[in-house]
Amino acid sequence: MKKTSFWVILIAAVALLAGVAAVWLQIRGAGATIANIYQDGVCIRSIDLSSLTETVTFTVEGPAGTNTIEAEHGRIRVSHAECPDQVCVEMGWRSDGASPIVCLPNKLVIRLENTAASATPEIDGVTG
Amino acid sequence: MKGMTTRQLSLMALLTAIALAIHVAEAQIPAPVPIPGVKLGLANIITVYAVFTLGAGPACMILAARILLGSLFAGQAISLLYSLAGGLLCLLAMLPLRKVLTRKQIWVSSVIGAIFHNVGQILVAIVVTGTPAIASYFPVLLLSGIAAGLFTGFAAQALIARMDKRKKQ
Repeated sequence: MKKTSFWVILIAAVALLAGVAAVWLQIRGAGATIANIYQDGVCIRSIDLSSLTETVTFTVEGPAGTNTIEAEHGRIRVSHAECPDQVCVEMGWRSDGASPIVCLPNKLVIRLENTAASATPEIDGVTG
Repeated sequence: MKGMTTRQLSLMALLTAIALAIHVAEAQIPAPVPIPGVKLGLANIITVYAVFTLGAGPACMILAARILLGSLFAGQAISLLYSLAGGLLCLLAMLPLRKVLTRKQIWVSSVIGAIFHNVGQILVAIVVTGTPAIASYFPVLLLSGIAAGLFTGFAAQALIARMDKRKKQ
């Protein structure tokens, strides 16, 4: 039997580490402007948000339906999703790389990074 | 299980029903923060109770039944995978703690179980999406998991203390 203080210290240490990691991710993600859109782990599209002058809207198809992605100068979000949980829509706008937008049913991840990960990056943000 | 009494079987069925009711009710509450996987996990109270009063086998069966039926009633197919991976790791972490913790430290098992639940969730998320970047949610998930684990842990400990007292009477 260990003393309760042992467990309290152990749990506090894990919480502290998590807190430090969260802050570090926040700092590290600052300044990232290129939105990389991944599906099934493959980057399907890269947009430089800092070069956008008008709002760009496009859709991504997945097993759980369509996600509508809206990008504008400096920020990006999922504006509409056909899946029932709507978590990715509620995640709102992202303007830095601290945490990605995730749609688990459609295996979709939108991440702001410093470099474009797509094979054919659309640095000018023009959409088809 | 060999030699399971009718009494024990009914108790397990009752606990599964309670856990399932909590699980379904909780699924109706909108997520407090828009991060996939963040939840209170109130049904964990029943898991902790089962681990400490009924043992490994019954706790495992109750948890498996609750997750399977819970995903069927309240979730989507994909949430089953997260719940199973999380629940299994959580249980594996809790079981050895049973021998180490006193009756006043039961809450610790819930917190450590929650941490392992988060590990399971994030691993499945990385595999399913093929995007290791999702791991950047791990710290936030961990903090919310520890808070939720503390809450359900103390709730379970209070429940077990109550039931112990009743048995003595």
